[in-house]
Amino acid sequence: MKDAPGRVLLVGVAIVVVALAAFPKVASPYYTTLVLPAFGYAIALLGFNLLFGFTGLLSFGHALFVAIGAYSAAVLTGKLGVKSFEAIVLVAGIVAVIAALPVALLAVRYVRIFFGILTLAFGMLFHSFLFKFYNLTGGDTGMRVLRPTLFGTDFKELDKTTFLIGPYYYECLALLVVLAFAMWRIVHSPFGLHLAAIRENPRKAEYLGVRVHRFRLLAFLISAFYGAVGGAILGVNIGQADPELAYWTHSGELVFMTVLGGFASFFGPLLGAFTFIFLKSELMGATEYWRFFLGVTLAVIVIAFPRGLMGLASDAWTKAVRR
Amino acid sequence: MNVQRRKILRGLGAGAALAAGPYLGAPALAQNRPLKIGIIAPKAGIAGTIGECGLRGTLFAVDRINAGGGIAGRKIELVVEEETNPKDSIERLRKLVLQDKVDCVQGIVSSGVSLAMGAVAEEMKALTIFWDGTTQDGVNETMPNPRYVFRSTDNECEAVMASLLAIKHWKGKFATVAGINPDYSYGRNNFAAFQALLKKFGVEHKVVADQWPKVGTLDLTSHVAALKAAKPDLVFSSLLFADLPVFMKTAYGAGLMDGKTKFVFPAAGFQHTLLKKEFTPEGMIFGHNTLYFDIENPTPLQKAFVQEYEAKYKDYPHWEADRAYFAMQIYKAGVEAAYKAKNAWPAQDDVISAMEGLKIESLGGPGSMRKDHIAEQTFYQGLTTHKNRFDFATISDVTRMYSDQLQKPQGTDFWKWIETANIKL
Amino acid sequence: MTSFFDVLIGGVFHASVLFLVAAGLQLVFGVQRIVNLACGSFYALGAYFGISAVGWATAGGLPTWTFLPVLIVSGLVLGVVGLPIERLLRTVYKRDEAFQLLLTFALVLMFQDVLRFFWGANPKQLGNLSMSYGKVALGDVSLPTYNVLVMLASVAIAVSLGWFLQRTRHGRILRATAENREMAAALGADVRRIYASVFTLGTVLGTVGGALVVPTAAASLDMPVELVVEAFAVVVIGGLGSMRGALVGALVVGLTRAAAISFYAELEVLAIYLIVIVVLVARPAGLFGKPVE
Repeated sequence: MKDAPGRVLLVGVAIVVVALAAFPKVASPYYTTLVLPAFGYAIALLGFNLLFGFTGLLSFGHALFVAIGAYSAAVLTGKLGVKSFEAIVLVAGIVAVIAALPVALLAVRYVRIFFGILTLAFGMLFHSFLFKFYNLTGGDTGMRVLRPTLFGTDFKELDKTTFLIGPYYYECLALLVVLAFAMWRIVHSPFGLHLAAIRENPRKAEYLGVRVHRFRLLAFLISAFYGAVGGAILGVNIGQADPELAYWTHSGELVFMTVLGGFASFFGPLLGAFTFIFLKSELMGATEYWRFFLGVTLAVIVIAFPRGLMGLASDAWTKAVRR
Repeated sequence: MNVQRRKILRGLGAGAALAAGPYLGAPALAQNRPLKIGIIAPKAGIAGTIGECGLRGTLFAVDRINAGGGIAGRKIELVVEEETNPKDSIERLRKLVLQDKVDCVQGIVSSGVSLAMGAVAEEMKALTIFWDGTTQDGVNETMPNPRYVFRSTDNECEAVMASLLAIKHWKGKFATVAGINPDYSYGRNNFAAFQALLKKFGVEHKVVADQWPKVGTLDLTSHVAALKAAKPDLVFSSLLFADLPVFMKTAYGAGLMDGKTKFVFPAAGFQHTLLKKEFTPEGMIFGHNTLYFDIENPTPLQKAFVQEYEAKYKDYPHWEADRAYFAMQIYKAGVEAAYKAKNAWPAQDDVISAMEGLKIESLGGPGSMRKDHIAEQTFYQGLTTHKNRFDFATISDVTRMYSDQLQKPQGTDFWKWIETANIKL
Repeated sequence: MTSFFDVLIGGVFHASVLFLVAAGLQLVFGVQRIVNLACGSFYALGAYFGISAVGWATAGGLPTWTFLPVLIVSGLVLGVVGLPIERLLRTVYKRDEAFQLLLTFALVLMFQDVLRFFWGANPKQLGNLSMSYGKVALGDVSLPTYNVLVMLASVAIAVSLGWFLQRTRHGRILRATAENREMAAALGADVRRIYASVFTLGTVLGTVGGALVVPTAAASLDMPVELVVEAFAVVVIGGLGSMRGALVGALVVGLTRAAAISFYAELEVLAIYLIVIVVLVARPAGLFGKPVE
């Protein structure tokens, strides 16, 4: 009885992965290029939701780490000549963790709304930094992200679009699967359980001997790592790292995506990333007032469907199973 | 639209195409497929007003072209997308090229977006004509030898011209200068160009204040106070968004414009209708870039455009409309020239080759496209005057310069060019 | 001496503007524990609507000097917009704060297009109306009388808010509700009406603020998102929920900004963030905030 949901889950995941792998073969090139930022955001949101859904801390400055990821990719490929995508992703994550440390030390002392405001401020601080130190960062024009090599191969014969919807797509998909699996293990580990306890009742957790601040810090650092990996994927896709990646409304979009998909579920953010990217793209093509409709969508989700699409799906599943 | 109407229209189109004259050789039906042109322009935020003016220029161009039978007989169909940040704007570009399969992409106002998009457009081999947004930084890395991307005149042209005018009018009349420029690449390069030119022409000067307000700042009281305290003889400001009229008002209110200080505004034309006479004194250098709407003896084209614009939008156009018009016209001219040469519908490469070196008449005056894919256009700057029929300041004593005197020639570095070139006043 | 005073006045003026934005934020947070990301949107709305109102008034034949009362009235009237929005927020009062914050973010997105729909993409301004009250000389410095009026208005609002909260019965009920919602309800306070009135008051502070400042500035489409950042810096420095904190925080930010502009222009925005970090390290709850877990 206990294994049945587990097996269903595994089958479901396998189906999704196969579908994603088959997508470039069946869908148009444009829609395939849309999946790439979805991969990047999905990874970033896995980290974000560790903080939000599992630890209960809403960060309104998470775009900071996404930006760090993109800029790391730019510095590595453009300035330092490091072209290996694997190295880029790893280094971007590490840089983000280092940057996250002082932010986290300051921010985890707070909870709830204060945490949100503080993280917003830090995100904007980085945005200003990117503008001001233009000699280092390229200012408003940003920095170029050059095409990386995948496992040492440079695919020179492919033009950028074919590269992106071909080998790059598959490596990002693989990266998503690997990082999602890692996050699954984290969340189901004792560490993850501690985080849940802290979310439910921090004082009680503290009383029971859980070092609340330390666990939050660790969750923050992990989320930063994931954020930067997502940012690096985005950076390679766009070919440029620009300061607007760090703007607070971009952080707002990250939260939007997570809540859209369902923050209370592990897979919610992933679903949210994909749905949001496609939704936004279709809206932008359909009307010039797409921001308004996005806002309405968010309002409807927050008011009526707080558990997001996964919540709707699981409700539907429960109803179906009950019959 | 139902099948019957479509058939009739197609028949009409074929008839019109036959009547259109020398542009036909290929079967009429193939000609009637519209030419899809993608436009990417900002609609919201700080550049929304700029994108709006540009789009109006595009619509004017397209209406006239389509009324005249289209480009080589094919009518233009616009697909308009919004320019936001580089990430999202590139997605729109991909949609236009991969999904909508447009024949040409035009637009873009922001330098940051143009850099990112230029690289992507080149890789996608998508013929792209930028309206604006080209600074000196980073271009050499992202687009060393563009094949598919065509850029507008360098952003610094207006700074060069304004500096030359300042030197011409006021050399010897100022010793201290101050700058208040928006804190991003455009502002920095403008002010740096000004200083480089002062140095080149041996104008002794001392920079007594150097302000860098965040782009779009709406409270400039402290900045103006700091400027005033420094007592400059001349103030150079490339402010160009909503912050420009705010600066004008604040500076006027603080007594900075009582005649003792000279002002140079290379990009004032963007906000010209907001620069009301009450706080915009005469005698300041204003730049209107490639379109000065109230010029004496305008060409029939400009006259018609300004009249139509005023009637339709109850406003007066600035140069973004001209940039957009230029982009559309240069593309049209390129396609038609290539068509004529080939006597069949040209391939993209033919169009690109045809566009290189082409000359056309834009709203603001003659323009052309260099072989290195950078545009040449006519620039207008002058001294502010109140002698007009509007409630805002316009310019008199208008100087007109072709950009070949204002921008670096092919293959040179901008800063080296300023130092070494023979730039005339 | 001139330049020092100039810097001071410039800083105080900016602080007055910031205070008007922050006051609404603080009030709503203090009583309802909601951080309203749409505070900048209300401010922008007040600015745009103020310009339209003055336009109608002038077209209707009112003399120019009436623009100040017209602006104030337009701001007050527009505050009514707070009522339906509060009704909307009411649906998530019982939920986690994150959802309330998110709903206000949804409002930000919606407002951006609402502003554009009604007022278009061009920045709008009121010409030189701010000069129509002439200039006033304070020692060596002369500044438009209007700017002085804005600063005085800011002080007046701060004082009346303070008086309202401390001395009136309504204000005391508000503060009680802020302290302990359940207790206040148990003691007979109509929490629902209180929340509606507080949110509307917060909105009014925003719309009036925007209307008051627009003669010296302009209304532009990026105002809603840009303002939020500075407003947040003010409330973090001053302490969330504290009116005194809004005042002091605004002064700190305004004066720091003015000082930076005068002495080391490059530092302008970063200086404010630096102060935010310093304050947080020294006093985590902000200067006047209550320490929270």
